Amino acid sequence: MMFASVKEKLQAIGCTTYELTETTVTAWEFYFIRHKLDQNRSTKVQTLSVKLYRPLDDGMLGSASGTISPTASDAELETTLKNLYYQASLVKNPAYTLTDKPVPLYKFAPVDVEAIAEQFLSAMQAVPETETERINSYEIFVRDVQKRFENSNGVTYSIDYPSSMIEVVVNAQKDGHEIELYRNFTSGVCDAEKLTRDVETALKFGKDRLLAQPTPKLGKADVIFSTADAVELYRYFGARMSAGMQFRKLSDWTEGKPIANYTSGDRVSIFAAATLENSSHSFPVDEQGALISERYLIRDGVAESTWGDRQMSQYLDKQDSSIVYNFIVSGGTASDAELHAGDYLELCEFSDFQVDPVGGDLLGEIRLGYWHHDGKVDVITGGSVSGTMQDAIPSMRFSAETKQYDTVVIPKETRLYGVTITGIQ
Amino acid sequence: MKAPFSAYLNGFLPWARQLVDALQPHYDYVSVLSTDSVGFTIAMSQRSKSVSNTNMTTERGTVVRVYRDGLYSEYAFNTPCGTPQEAADAIRTALDRQLKLLHRTHTPVYETGTLPDEPLELFVEKETGRLPESENLESLVTFLTGLSDRGVQTIPSALDCNVRAMSTHISKLFLTGNRCLRQSYVYTEGAIAAFAPSESGELKTAYKGVSGLGGPEILDGLCGVLDELPKLMTDLLGSEKIVPGEYEIITDPGITGLIAHEAFGHGVEMDMFVKERALGADYIGKRVGSDLVTMHEGARCAESVTAYAFDDEGTLADDVIEIDRGILKTGICDALSALRLGTTPTGNGKRENFAHKVYTRMTNTMFDSGTDSVEDMIASVRHGYLLSGTESGMEDPKHWGIQCIVSRGYEIKDGKLTGKVVSPVIMTGYVPDLLGSISMASTDRVVEGNGGCGKGYKEWVKVADGGPYLKTKARLG
Repeated sequence: MMFASVKEKLQAIGCTTYELTETTVTAWEFYFIRHKLDQNRSTKVQTLSVKLYRPLDDGMLGSASGTISPTASDAELETTLKNLYYQASLVKNPAYTLTDKPVPLYKFAPVDVEAIAEQFLSAMQAVPETETERINSYEIFVRDVQKRFENSNGVTYSIDYPSSMIEVVVNAQKDGHEIELYRNFTSGVCDAEKLTRDVETALKFGKDRLLAQPTPKLGKADVIFSTADAVELYRYFGARMSAGMQFRKLSDWTEGKPIANYTSGDRVSIFAAATLENSSHSFPVDEQGALISERYLIRDGVAESTWGDRQMSQYLDKQDSSIVYNFIVSGGTASDAELHAGDYLELCEFSDFQVDPVGGDLLGEIRLGYWHHDGKVDVITGGSVSGTMQDAIPSMRFSAETKQYDTVVIPKETRLYGVTITGIQ
Repeated sequence: MKAPFSAYLNGFLPWARQLVDALQPHYDYVSVLSTDSVGFTIAMSQRSKSVSNTNMTTERGTVVRVYRDGLYSEYAFNTPCGTPQEAADAIRTALDRQLKLLHRTHTPVYETGTLPDEPLELFVEKETGRLPESENLESLVTFLTGLSDRGVQTIPSALDCNVRAMSTHISKLFLTGNRCLRQSYVYTEGAIAAFAPSESGELKTAYKGVSGLGGPEILDGLCGVLDELPKLMTDLLGSEKIVPGEYEIITDPGITGLIAHEAFGHGVEMDMFVKERALGADYIGKRVGSDLVTMHEGARCAESVTAYAFDDEGTLADDVIEIDRGILKTGICDALSALRLGTTPTGNGKRENFAHKVYTRMTNTMFDSGTDSVEDMIASVRHGYLLSGTESGMEDPKHWGIQCIVSRGYEIKDGKLTGKVVSPVIMTGYVPDLLGSISMASTDRVVEGNGGCGKGYKEWVKVADGGPYLKTKARLG
């Protein structure tokens, strides 16, 4: 759009420190009821984001951010920039600097939204269904994201990447009773094989849920997480190592020190990655123009490095940090036999499983689980799981095998010991 | 003062009319929705401060809906497109490309009838005290900073006190061959969140907010919010884990609103009826709650953050009685779902923004008040909890399960609050059981509208909900 025009006006108002980002998203969307097309949509949306900085007294730095419409008139553009520059004088933060390291010129393959959309359409039409397990509805979103960045230190970059999402609802029926399961898959492009596998798993869970009995009042039980909800457990670790939480004293994990008083548990290792195959956020540079700094955040249960934006990172005296979009958790040491020893509750579906990154509470209503006990397996539903990460981490075990969920790779199975289960019978 | 309708949209109107004219020969229905909403977000804490001219509902753009051969298609854009004829040609080309792909993949269409287009003109500018775009941000920043400073001084053990304020002046233009609707209104919300470590080192978050239809003057209410936070934090710091089980509960108006929203808000969004995803479709005319349960839904129900005059499909706002004394009467409906179900739209077709699809969405969802005093309600509980402080909820329209995560539970034994606090609390249950067990309702009623509501895990829109204190039974963990 109008970088030149913006820079000219910034110069006129005396703003010499800034970041400009132009994002153009071209999207194709298809909405289905069963396999019939409900609606097709095409969108092209451009956003110019600006962040203006202003040196203030006593070493403080002011800043204000905003967006400017592509249809803004020249006068409107000027007014918006003047307002933001004035507003930058109102918020005072300790000074920090913008990146000045040049970004190499990257070449990206053109994103063909039509071709990707066709792959999704074909994949969904080919998912095997039965009379009793079938697809209720789905929504396909395919996006070509083009970003152009420039800051006042002359750092520039352009990236172009695919970002896709498909929401799928499946039904299973038995004796006039029908249940549904919801899935929201995100990725770069369409991996038809993986999508089919994941939808088939959802259909299988749907079938099992029809057989489910009310969750027994177990009190405390060992729990195995084996589905995408386990991502929430590991996001907690990433969040605790973010510069923002560290600087705000919301995380007390200290570099060089164990993150827990480990007992029998596997030690967590998390690696921050710039790129990850078919991730919806796979690119080498962050939104502030910094090359993504690949590093271990936690290695063998010891806090190693923080990640985050330049402001928070510099407040922690981390000059070479960056925002990170992809995380890889190493596999654990638990053998399959160890992981599945004794009684345990395998939880596969929740209403909304959550882990509070601040307090560490983990909570969720159970929609489907498998209660493995006394050599048999009962399918259960209802009730809830609750506990805290602080209690769970010292003894948690996880599989050596890992699985990717879009931007994160995590152990395929994770076992927490002695978690509270609120049953209903 | 009146919130003035966008000068940009008034200038855009003739171009948009010509765009409709240029598209009409090629389609059986054409509508244009254009938005121009401005506002701000200010966030102040002891550790960092920020100001932005964006928030969840600021936007400027246009979406065109067209209909032909039983299929509705949309094209959304926000860049200059040349003349109306050039824009119309570009839109047709883009949508025809998609249709070719759909033809190539032998994709069948879910055929739908034509939307009515009866003539209607509407121009609404709602009252506001102030406008976000002309707010004195220097004074506001000073005020919010002062709140954060006072928070860390007065809230026990507070590590920090985050104060957040957002205000948006919304302008929307809806146009068809026969309709021209314009509306402008302002809503504002603010919240304070304080963090403090318990003796065991666990961090607790005390949170409360204000919201409403109107300008930044609503943020004055944050002073009262801050006055409540020291006690909230004291309660949280002294809290214990609950012993899981089924209890008698009393919900404060915030939790009452959360139940309304999750139980029979999402449960009667009628686009879910079209997909056969909601159990509610089979229960119209049947009992789903006790006689004390009457529930309203609609943008006309309350002057809240979502009190618009017409929705994103040009349907006028309404006040729908969903449940009348325990009997499910109807759901809420967007225009296309109404066509498919053979019913009337209720003004609940909403988009996250111009670039997103319309779904049936909630506006104000609220229980009616009752005749009991809160004191009598507490006195009637043998062993249970007064639940307060919304954290999150999740709908389950197909099975009528409900999950509500609640900040605090205040123990009641033998009709008296014991002073014991449990936190956090996950409330789960079966919706008809929960609503069927409602045995008392207080005379007062509060509507809250902080934060946003998603459909599944996306499509975030503003909603408000509330009601009185309710007494019922639920499973807590």
